[in-house]
Amino acid sequence: MRKLVFGASALAGLLLAGTAVQAQEITVGFVTSLSGPASSIGINYEKGMNAAYAYKADVGGVKIKLIKLDDGSDPSQATKNARKLVEQDKVDVMIGTSSAPGTNAMLTVANELKVPFIAVSPVSVPLPKEGHPWGISMVQTPPLMVKVIADRMKREGIKSVGYIGFSDSWGDLVYNGAKAAEQNGGPAVLTNERYARTDTSVTAQALKVVAAKPEGFLDGGSATQAALPLLELRKLGFKGPFFGTPSLLNRDFVRIGGKAAEGTQVSAGPVVVTSQLPNDHFSKKIGTAFHETFQKVNGGEADDGFSGYAFDGWVVFLEAAKTAMTKAKPGTPDFREALMEAIYSSKDVAGVHAVYNFTPKSYYGVDERSLVVVKLVDGKWVYQP
Amino acid sequence: MSRQTTLAVGALVLVVLFGAPLYLAPFTITLLNYIGVYALVALGLVLLTGNAGMVSFGQASFMGIAAYATGWTSAVMGYSPWLGLILALVATGLIAAILGAVTLRLGGHFLSLSTIAWGLAIYFSFGNIPGLGAFDGIPSLPPISIGNLALIESGQIFYLIWIALLLSMLAIHNLLDSRVGRALRALRGGNALVESLGINALRVRLATFVIAALCAALSGWLYAHMGRFVSPTPFDVTASIIALMMAMIGGAGYLLGAVIGAAIIVLLKNGIQDILPRIAPGASGQLEVVVFASLFILFLQRARNGIVPFIAQWIPEPHRERPPPADALPRQTQPAKGTALMQVEAVNRRFGGLIAVNDVSFEVHAGEILALIGPNGAGKTTMFNLITGALTPSGGRIVFAGKDITKSGACDIASSGIARTFQHVKLRPKMTLIDNVLLGTYGRTKSGFIRSALRLDRAEEARSRHEAMRQLDRVGLGDRPYELAGNLPLGNQRVLEIARALAADPVLLVLDEPAAGLRRQEKLALAELLRTLRAEGLTILLVEHDMEFVMGLVDRIVVMEFGCKLCEGDPDTVRTDTRVQEAYLGGVA
Amino acid sequence: MNAQIAAILTLDGIASGAIYVLIAIGFVLIFAVTRIIFVPFGDITAFTALTLASLENKHLPGTVGMVAVLAAMATLMEIFSLWRKGTLGRVPRALLFYLILPLIPAGVVWLTAGTLLPTALRILLTVAVILPIPPLLNRIVYQPIADATVLLLLIVSVALHFAMSGLGLLFFGPEGVRTQGFVDYTAIIAGTPVSGQAILILGSAIFFSFLLYLFFSFTLTGKALHATALNRTGARLMGIRPQQACTIAFLLGALLAAISGILIAPVNTIFYDSGFLIGLKSFVGAIIGGMVSFPVTAIGSMLVGILESFAAFLSSPFKDVIVFSILIPVLLWRSYTLVHAEDEDEE
Repeated sequence: MRKLVFGASALAGLLLAGTAVQAQEITVGFVTSLSGPASSIGINYEKGMNAAYAYKADVGGVKIKLIKLDDGSDPSQATKNARKLVEQDKVDVMIGTSSAPGTNAMLTVANELKVPFIAVSPVSVPLPKEGHPWGISMVQTPPLMVKVIADRMKREGIKSVGYIGFSDSWGDLVYNGAKAAEQNGGPAVLTNERYARTDTSVTAQALKVVAAKPEGFLDGGSATQAALPLLELRKLGFKGPFFGTPSLLNRDFVRIGGKAAEGTQVSAGPVVVTSQLPNDHFSKKIGTAFHETFQKVNGGEADDGFSGYAFDGWVVFLEAAKTAMTKAKPGTPDFREALMEAIYSSKDVAGVHAVYNFTPKSYYGVDERSLVVVKLVDGKWVYQP
Repeated sequence: MSRQTTLAVGALVLVVLFGAPLYLAPFTITLLNYIGVYALVALGLVLLTGNAGMVSFGQASFMGIAAYATGWTSAVMGYSPWLGLILALVATGLIAAILGAVTLRLGGHFLSLSTIAWGLAIYFSFGNIPGLGAFDGIPSLPPISIGNLALIESGQIFYLIWIALLLSMLAIHNLLDSRVGRALRALRGGNALVESLGINALRVRLATFVIAALCAALSGWLYAHMGRFVSPTPFDVTASIIALMMAMIGGAGYLLGAVIGAAIIVLLKNGIQDILPRIAPGASGQLEVVVFASLFILFLQRARNGIVPFIAQWIPEPHRERPPPADALPRQTQPAKGTALMQVEAVNRRFGGLIAVNDVSFEVHAGEILALIGPNGAGKTTMFNLITGALTPSGGRIVFAGKDITKSGACDIASSGIARTFQHVKLRPKMTLIDNVLLGTYGRTKSGFIRSALRLDRAEEARSRHEAMRQLDRVGLGDRPYELAGNLPLGNQRVLEIARALAADPVLLVLDEPAAGLRRQEKLALAELLRTLRAEGLTILLVEHDMEFVMGLVDRIVVMEFGCKLCEGDPDTVRTDTRVQEAYLGGVA
Repeated sequence: MNAQIAAILTLDGIASGAIYVLIAIGFVLIFAVTRIIFVPFGDITAFTALTLASLENKHLPGTVGMVAVLAAMATLMEIFSLWRKGTLGRVPRALLFYLILPLIPAGVVWLTAGTLLPTALRILLTVAVILPIPPLLNRIVYQPIADATVLLLLIVSVALHFAMSGLGLLFFGPEGVRTQGFVDYTAIIAGTPVSGQAILILGSAIFFSFLLYLFFSFTLTGKALHATALNRTGARLMGIRPQQACTIAFLLGALLAAISGILIAPVNTIFYDSGFLIGLKSFVGAIIGGMVSFPVTAIGSMLVGILESFAAFLSSPFKDVIVFSILIPVLLWRSYTLVHAEDEDEE
């Protein structure tokens, strides 16, 4: 009996939660990983978003309210956050998050609750059979990232590469991209070795790569820890050139990689070499503005590619919101529908990474213009035309 | 509180709960859904940890197996989520059964550590199986459909989740209040007692383990179709630990503890997420986990049994009726008085180089009271343990009722009609008197896990209760059957053990120093009870120290010294035996 | 796989294994004396590496703030409990042990932040800053529940690990660090390159294990500690204060964690949360030793390191599955061979 009474009082306590908010402004929900394993990327997204919000915080005089939530690198928390943003805060659009599984999870919610979602990570949710999806992804697709660098390898006459990547979804994506490039005449991928971000050694994996005798090496790691295979390979006497994806663009990667990482070539969004770009490059002007705002808000250089995705997501949203504002009031389902339509109808939106053209046929809206090749020379990334 | 009030409050709770989607904000319903899903995992832990005393750090991996099973069935293969549910339960149940069979022999914290090991191993496997989407997971699971209604919105799946939770709680509540449930609760505190009651501890543990895993599987299935997305991260060791936290915060011994613990953690997480950015902007993400963990530690320091017992003390005790009379349970036919019931033939037992029992032989005749006496270190208790199967003889033979039981385990020996008590009283102090005695009836009854969970065991249960009350009355404890055994003074605990042994309807009752710690009055009552039992045809073997108690009561005495039998005979012969006087009585008698 | 690859893998495994040995011995030590399975042990190791790296980069390490906060909390709790016991006369002593002593190295680091000290001094300072953390955590977290069951202590430990990793992120940020190597030397033994760092790690592991052995065998404190581990009540009767024994065990454990942190800093990138897996793998070693035997623990930890290395070569994605799966047969073997008194915890 007393269990029941107690249960009743506990339930009554539960019912106190939850209030609805009616928006007089545009509300944007932003989810990123500020803790957990994905936070080394997630914090960059947050800084990018800070810069974006400082860059422009209104659409035609209507204020934008930004709600930030941490998902702790956990997809189920990302789902919960997405639901919270939509159901409790009634956001008009969501932007997020740092890990691919978390982003997929948020996209599932976005599709279900019909809220525009601007992903800043790759997504792999199948497109809905009818109607348009409710999400777009700002990033260059991993196959595109790998393709651009694979093309460069081909140009340099590399016929085979070894591969060591993270034992997570990022490692899968890069490997699959490299395999796809191989099908299209790119270098053959000889190994598929994996390591965890917190592993203490990749000696064994590096030995396997060396034993396979590839001409070059493709790094499927990310951020700081991506330096580990490079260090190990050089130690074991591997002489071939190193290649990578934009996830190697990280200050600590350069610091830790040191001499071993020197000469590594990666495909990268133009934002990381804004100052080296020719003046007629699409991202020169907005990129410069981004770097200045970033410096002002966060007090440091934007030397990663991730913060640029968040910024570009904001730019695409601003562009679409301008159109949507003429059709519906923020905070209504109509506005969300209009916003999604406007995202699809906006043409050639120039961001710091790419020129964006989204369609309902794909989540991605970038082309090869969104990637340049950069090379690590004396600890600096140098634009390689 | 009366039964009517109980029913009224229960009905009110149900109305308030199931009306929730009508008057609560959608996000609150989403939170309630998460609470329901996590409460199911925690419920398994309440059963496993709070009641059976096994701590698992791997429940989330069972959740994951189920989520992946249904994800594969519904999203990859395109079948119905209901088929996914079947596969989820079967796969999880099988894996749990295999893991359990391998690891459940481990005791104490070793078992818990092994759960960390396989929890990690299963988690790492999820991300490395390409058919399951590797680290990316499986996106776009279909919603569960009932008929043509797809449960897409929070307010719809809400009903499914909470009905599943409430039904599981009901089933587990029934289970705990049954024959197997009592056996399961008795597991907490070691195997010696459980085995001596004819309960196969390993089997009960295994069944409990599988049931807890099935709770997690149900939760994983609901979770997968609620989020409509499956990936490895939500099923890592951290998630398992959070499930354990939920059970412990709520109160691991109580079914409601699971729900309350889940509610507190989900709401607290949500609350911290809302409040922290206002207090510490910029560092909120990092601080969230710190605040959360610190609160948890503080909680464990202050109220480690959880919230339910903490609050329950303010709610009046329910009034419980004495169980009504029912048909008696079937009884054994006692062997004819005077026939040889047990033969102990040249039994010896060595511990390394030490010979504790050396070629001891004696017989127990049906219907007599035989005492085994001897000074400290004579090997009485070892002999006792050999007879009851707690130890196996190094040589010799023990035959009971024509059956060789030399190599049998405690469980089998108990089943063949020997009931025992312990020198250091072994009761379950947190169980009531009647539940302790009911444990004795385990071997005489049959209802298993499924019958018990579905309440098909009530007729048998009523007969067991009637029997337990009869034994309680007989030893003089019938006036307060719902008292906790731990609240009794030592003397009463001893007779409670005898009541429990009698409830097993044994042919041979073996008592280990039953008079130790009893006051004179209590000893007289005990002797009187044993005489009555003998008159009813029961055979009794007792190991005793108290000579006065023995001499006036028993028919025959076997005296042991230094592991050997010194002599045997009726009390007067033994009393006058000079060897006995020298060795044991020191000439006092 | 040829002989040379096997040799390289074995060496790599021994180097990781040596780190696990140090940590595993710490686990066993703390468990034996306090019955606490100190899960945040790996975090302490990681924090040491992070602190050393901060000093090398001329930053103020986050550990300084952490020690200050912990010292303040421990002092307040101690004073409060002294006040409740009515023994306020012992406050100055509490202040000395819980506030002043831990804050001295932290203060030194704070004052010298920004200047690059010589390597030896940097290492010394790092160890000195790290040392007070586990004993302070013991005072704050474990002492109020010293009588709890092993299981409850374990759960508290796990919660503490979460708090520590959160603090790590707050104080050190999400990026990984790696310090400069102490030795830039590679020996060629039978055609196999052996890095000087690996030799240093192995040497240190052997040296400190030996030192610990001497401590337990030949010093009074060591013997007292050993006695407490064997029989708590007995030790108390012999006048050994359990709390003091706990503090010493935690200090020794801290020392081991700090040494392993220093050793691992130049060979691997360490993140704020790297400690968990390192800790867990060491823990596998400690369990092989049954949480009691130091020599078996050391052998077990070595085995884990070598197994990990070979598993990574054979199938790197399933490396961790393999490492954690061997725990189950090991535990089974333990459960059949170890004669442990029946754990009759009658609540």
